Amino acid sequence: MSLFDKFELLAQSRRALASDGPPPVATPFDRVLSATRGVINGQEVLLAGTNNYLGLTFHPQVIEKAKTALEELGSGTTGSRMANGSYASHHALEAELAAAFGWSSAMVFSTGYQANVGVMSSVVGTGEYLLIDADSHASIYDGCRMSKAQTLTFRHNDPDNLDRKLERLGADAKKTLVVVEGLYSMLGDQPPLQEFVDVKNKHGAWLLVDEAHSFGVFGDKGLGLTEAMGLLDEVDFAVGTFSKSLAGIGGFCVSPHAELDLLRLASRPYIFTASPSPAVVAATREALSLVLSGQHLRQQLKKNMERLYDGAKAAGFQLGSEIPGPVAALILPNRETALSHWHQLLDQGVYANLMIPPATPNGLCLLRLSLSAAHTDEDIDQILFALNGIKAQQNKVAKA
Amino acid sequence: MSDTTDPIHDAIQQALVATAPDRTDLDWDVPLSTAAGLDSVQIMNLVMEIEDALDISVPMDVLADAHTLNDLAKALGTLIQSQAGGSTA
Repeated sequence: MSLFDKFELLAQSRRALASDGPPPVATPFDRVLSATRGVINGQEVLLAGTNNYLGLTFHPQVIEKAKTALEELGSGTTGSRMANGSYASHHALEAELAAAFGWSSAMVFSTGYQANVGVMSSVVGTGEYLLIDADSHASIYDGCRMSKAQTLTFRHNDPDNLDRKLERLGADAKKTLVVVEGLYSMLGDQPPLQEFVDVKNKHGAWLLVDEAHSFGVFGDKGLGLTEAMGLLDEVDFAVGTFSKSLAGIGGFCVSPHAELDLLRLASRPYIFTASPSPAVVAATREALSLVLSGQHLRQQLKKNMERLYDGAKAAGFQLGSEIPGPVAALILPNRETALSHWHQLLDQGVYANLMIPPATPNGLCLLRLSLSAAHTDEDIDQILFALNGIKAQQNKVAKA
Repeated sequence: MSDTTDPIHDAIQQALVATAPDRTDLDWDVPLSTAAGLDSVQIMNLVMEIEDALDISVPMDVLADAHTLNDLAKALGTLIQSQAGGSTA
């Protein structure tokens, strides 16, 4: 009898993925060379499995700002925002985020995970409700577990199901926070946001949109799906992360409600952790400025998305979303095929993400390709060449 | 499985057919996530089918305490009774 016995199923899953080559889960990188190139097991690869949607991780201005802050303000704050960890730059970043949305308030968290957990666990409490999309990210589920509110789920991207759930709540719908994401990272699909807004308005509920994967990607200023759909006036909270388009680490919540500021006194994931380091904050402020003025980056990313989606469909792959987005999820028939395709892609010099149950919706086995504005046409063609090769080999085996 | 005309049992059995068709004969007393081999997503889908069939909303904390199908049936019965008594969810 060991405390570790309960992890045996997980250990078995990991053993099932083992091979002579690099592991597909927690793949070790020898080095990262640029926004689109890395070295795995001594082999230079094209990175098509990161969240570096605008390719800003190596932007010289971002790096310069981080270096300066590191030299001038030190390597860390060594304290909570509630104690000694609130620097002028933290407040400046919050003001810049709020101004970008045209809203009154913003809070910066130390990670994107903590932003969701911190907001959901504090903004709704006893006698109130969280009503979340069933395919929500783990950070949303964990925020719900930490909250004293009662949590209900509605079917993924199903406004009718949300409507039924709010109807059942009756008058309590008005003390319910509905949570959706701007882009679901497993299948790369987007929510019918206008329909969700209509439903929450019908019942007087509140709405939070997690723009973790959509911030930087959609909207004229890159604020996410809410901006792209013209719905900024309809949302109560937008949550996001610094670790994708903003190329750093951290998270935020922005709101038109000035009372968001009160969460600083109530949100445990905000209070009981050290604040983001000065270098991270400086890099993020610069990246934010580049995101807001980055229409050209979004245009290049859109072009890359369409090129990859068209090519993957033409090669005969089924995709998780009909609408091109920064994530192209190839739906594969089983775990073995997904694993084999992952290794074949890597052999062709392309790193992607292997996604298998229980991390995926509906037990799907996926090969997740994610794109960057820093990818060139030649990069996309390299991915498509590899995918076509895999398909040709698959067809050859099927005929044999 | 349980042979009954109880609407809760019927809803669970129909939900199993819809979401885990290869596991419709599983023992209602075995833990769902280990012995029955259902992953968290399958359990979630199972519950959503049950919600539709019974026209109820099942809070996440109810699921946390329901380790077997018989636990779930019992918890659903309690939930339906409490809702009939006026509380919401």
